[in-house]
Amino acid sequence: MKWTSVFCLTCTFLCATLSTEKVHGRDQWFQKADSLYVAGAWFEASIAYERSYYLSENALQRVLANLAKAEALKQMGEYSKAHDDLQRSLAFRGSESLRLEVLYQMALCAYMDGDDATARSLLLQILHQFGPIPQQRIFLLKGLVMVDQARWDDLRQHLEVWADELYDDNAAKDSLLTAFDVLKMGDGLPRVRDPERARLWSAIIPGSGQAFAGSPGWGALNAISQLAALTGFGLLAWNGYYIAGVVAGLGPFQSFYFGGIRQAGELAEQNNSSRLERFQTAMGEFLLDVARQSDQ
Amino acid sequence: MRFQLLVLPLILCMMPMALSGNTTLSLDKSGFEVFSDMPVDSVGYSDLQMREEMDFILYLVGRGDLDEGLFLLEGLRPAGEKWRDSLNYLTGWVLYRQKNLDASAGFLLSVSCESPVYHKSHFFGAYNLAHTGDHAGAGAVLSSMSLERGKMLAAMKRLQLGGLALLARDFDGYSVQARHFSGQYHVMAAEERRMEQHHAGLRDAPGKSPWIGGLLSAAVPGLGRVYAGKSAEGIVGFLYVAALGLTSYDIYRGTGARNPLFILSASVTGVFYVGNILGSATAVRRTNKEFNHEMDQRILFDMHIPLRNAFN
Repeated sequence: MKWTSVFCLTCTFLCATLSTEKVHGRDQWFQKADSLYVAGAWFEASIAYERSYYLSENALQRVLANLAKAEALKQMGEYSKAHDDLQRSLAFRGSESLRLEVLYQMALCAYMDGDDATARSLLLQILHQFGPIPQQRIFLLKGLVMVDQARWDDLRQHLEVWADELYDDNAAKDSLLTAFDVLKMGDGLPRVRDPERARLWSAIIPGSGQAFAGSPGWGALNAISQLAALTGFGLLAWNGYYIAGVVAGLGPFQSFYFGGIRQAGELAEQNNSSRLERFQTAMGEFLLDVARQSDQ
Repeated sequence: MRFQLLVLPLILCMMPMALSGNTTLSLDKSGFEVFSDMPVDSVGYSDLQMREEMDFILYLVGRGDLDEGLFLLEGLRPAGEKWRDSLNYLTGWVLYRQKNLDASAGFLLSVSCESPVYHKSHFFGAYNLAHTGDHAGAGAVLSSMSLERGKMLAAMKRLQLGGLALLARDFDGYSVQARHFSGQYHVMAAEERRMEQHHAGLRDAPGKSPWIGGLLSAAVPGLGRVYAGKSAEGIVGFLYVAALGLTSYDIYRGTGARNPLFILSASVTGVFYVGNILGSATAVRRTNKEFNHEMDQRILFDMHIPLRNAFN
C-alpha cells in the first residue's frame, strides 16, 4: 500500500509537471511573440507565433496563434502568406466569433493582396455562414472590394444598407447617399473610351484617335509627323527622285500611320485604366471616411 | 505511511518550482530568446534543445518557410560537434531550395564522411558547383568520393562526371565515363541515354564562325544573319540596306557624286552596310552562345533529375 501510494503520487507529480510545463511553454512563446510584435520585430514574432502553433495541442490556442501570426505577416506585407496560413484554421469549430475572425482576416488579406475575387468569395462565405453581420469593418471591406471590381450599382445598394446601420435619422442617411451620388456623378464616373473606336478614328483621320483617347498632344504630333513624311515624299517625287521618295517619304509615312493607329488604342486603354484608378482611389477614400465617422 | 508523509511535502514543495518554470531563457546572437525545458549549456544548446529546435526547423522547411528555417539555423549553436553535420546539411539544403547554390555548396560539402547524409550532401554540393560554373571544383568533389564499384552510387558518380565532362566540352573525358554507363539503374537509365544524345549533339554541332557570318553579309547584306539561323533578321537587314542603296543610287543618278544630298545618303547607306556586317558577326556569336547555353541547361537537368530520384 505504501509503495503504491508513493508510485501514484510520483506519477501524479510527473504528469502535473510535464503537462503544466507544456502549457507554460506554449504561453511563454505566445507572450514572447507578443513582445516581439510590440517591439516591431515582425519576422521574429511570426516565427514565435508559428512555434506556439506548432507546440500547442489545443485547437483554440492554435487558432489564436495563427491569427496573431497573420497580424505579424500583415505588418510585413506578406498578405498572401497570411491568407494561406489562416486556411489551416478554417476547420476550427470551437467558437463562432473566432471562425468569423479567421474568415474576415482571410478576406482582408486576399483584398490587400489584390485578389478581389477571393476576397468577395470569402465575404460571401461570411454572409452564408453567419448571416448579415452589422460590423463596420465588414461593411467597409465589402465596399472596398466593390470599388476595386467597379460594381458601382452594387456599391450604391451596399451603402444604403450600411447607412441604415449607421444612422437612425433619414436626413443623415440621405446625406451619405447624396455624397456618394455627387462623387460618382459630380467628379465623374470615368467615361470609358473604346480602344477599338480610337484605332478606327486614327485610321480615318490621323491623330484623331489619340485625341478621342484623351491625349490630343500625341494626336497632333502623330498627324504632323505623317504630314511631314508625305510632304517629303511629294517633294522628292516632284524633283524626280522616285525611289528616294518612296524610301525616305512613304517609308516613314507608313510607320507613322500604322504606329499612330496602334498608339491610339494603347492610349485609350492606358487612359481608361488611370482614370478608373483615380476614381477608385477617391471612392475608397470616401468609404474610409464613412468608416471613420462610424467609429466616432 | 511515514514514508508517504515524508515524500508528500517534498513533492508539494517541488510543484510550484515546476509550475513557475523550471525553464531557462537565453539570448542568442540575433536577440531571439530561446525557450526550452532544459537549461542551456554554457557553451551552446543541449542535445534535447537541439533536437527540439531541429524538429521545429524541419517542420518550417517542410511547410516551405525557408527564410524562417534559415533564420533559426543561423542562430543555433550546438554544444558539441555532434550536430555540426546536421546543421551544415540542413542549412545547405535550405539554401539549395532557395536556389542560392553557391552558398549551398559550401555547407553541403562541409558535411563529414561519418554522416549518413554524406553522399547526398556531396553529390548535391558538386551539382551546385557545376551549376554555378565551377566544373573543376565539382569534378574534384566527385573524384574524392570513394564509392564501391558496381553499386548505384558509383554509377551516379560516373553519370555526374560524364555530365561535367560534357559541360567542359571534354569529349574524351566523357567517353571514359560513358563507357561504364550500364542503364541498369532505373533512376538514371533515361538520363544516361540522353547524355549520349547531348554528346552527339555537341560533337556534331557545326561551330559557326563570326568571320564567315561577317563575310557573307559583306557579300550580300543580311546573308550572315541567315547563316546564323536568324532568317527574319537577315531579310529585314537586306531590305534596309537595299532601300538605302537604291535611294543613294536614285540621288546619284539625278545629281551626280558631288551633291551633298548624295554624300549624305551614301554615308547613311555605308553606316547601315557596315553595321549589318558587324551585326551579322554578333548574331553568329549570339547563336553559338544560345546553343551552348541550351545544351548546358539540358546536361545540368539530366545531372539533376537522377540525384532527386535517388536521394528523395
